Amino acid sequence: MKTDAFLSALAADTLPRATVQTRMTRALPVGLAVSVVALTFIWGIRPDLMTAFMSIATMKTIGPVVLAALAVPLALSLSRPDPSSPRSMGNALLVFGASALAVFGAALVVGGGSALLEALMVPSLLVCFLSIPILAMPILGAVLWALSAGAALNAGRAGMVSGLVAGGLSTGVYSLYCDQDALLFFLPAYGAAMGFVAMLGKFAGQRVLRW
Amino acid sequence: MTKNRLETRPQNRTETWEDLARAANRGDSAAYERFLRAITPVLRSVVRARGGHLGPEQCEDILQDVLLSIHLKRQTWHEDAPIRPWLYAIARHKVVDAFRARGSRINVPIEDFLDVLPTSEAPDPLLARDMDRVIDQLDPRMADIVRGFGLRGETTAETAERLQMTEGAVRVALHRALKSIAQLRERMME
Repeated sequence: MKTDAFLSALAADTLPRATVQTRMTRALPVGLAVSVVALTFIWGIRPDLMTAFMSIATMKTIGPVVLAALAVPLALSLSRPDPSSPRSMGNALLVFGASALAVFGAALVVGGGSALLEALMVPSLLVCFLSIPILAMPILGAVLWALSAGAALNAGRAGMVSGLVAGGLSTGVYSLYCDQDALLFFLPAYGAAMGFVAMLGKFAGQRVLRW
Repeated sequence: MTKNRLETRPQNRTETWEDLARAANRGDSAAYERFLRAITPVLRSVVRARGGHLGPEQCEDILQDVLLSIHLKRQTWHEDAPIRPWLYAIARHKVVDAFRARGSRINVPIEDFLDVLPTSEAPDPLLARDMDRVIDQLDPRMADIVRGFGLRGETTAETAERLQMTEGAVRVALHRALKSIAQLRERMME
């Protein structure tokens, strides 16, 4: 077919397409809702949730959700072939990561290595590592579906940031069940689990965000 | 590079690519066609400058890939942003991709897009073969619709009447057909 003829066929298709933002607004709440419902009925919400929210344990929920909130605009930006200010958004994530690391470092200095081992040597660790990626799946699916309408120049990177969105939110959801409130438990355990989901997002992104 | 040189209709000298693309987003098919016809010569020069050794036919195949991506990804352009960086980013991505699939790695510096001038304003005489092969793989009705618009220059109403479909159904079928073409092209390159 001549290019000239092909252009006429393209021009005839003027059906509007949903933007990545629109798809994100539609899909993300659904993915999150599936995750919350699954947690409520399969894992169950910790009975002392209200008391926990009055303590430092509230950071277990707020921290990951803030991370996800920082990752959403970056994911949207990276889905464009001409990303707008991805660097400053990426820097916000780095600052967040560095702060979490600093808090972890301080807790480690205070408690010592033995306290870290003691905090992590609990059966909850395995539950945490398994639960967070599982709860992240519906959210990751939603974010990748939204971004697949975009045109990410680096599919792996966009996928990884999608994984951060999914990992952050699913960790926030999981924290409603998790009753391990020690800093030396949840900082490394949640951090590693979110990192794992980000890697899953990267590999999935390399497949589904190509165009 | 002046925009005006690229306009296809002299009476629209003040129309920028952004104006045309915005009108296209409102469903103005004529503006969209003018937009596509304005960018095509520029993109063709870039593809040929980079892939002259592939021969004009393969270059035309690659050009059609680029145009299809621009079409399918047009909602990723933000209307308040300049359109050229967006256009060139998509073109670059697809050109690099296409050459990689054809076994030759190349770099496409952005300057290629900035300095280039259209090779000719004349209608392009070249056939691209890949597209026909892909259209043949479509469901016959879809293939017929794409050819109806492309080769016979039908309008939506004419196609609808010929195929006893509603205009809405024709629009949706064309839309899906173009998406399938992109997927089939992707598979061909792997």
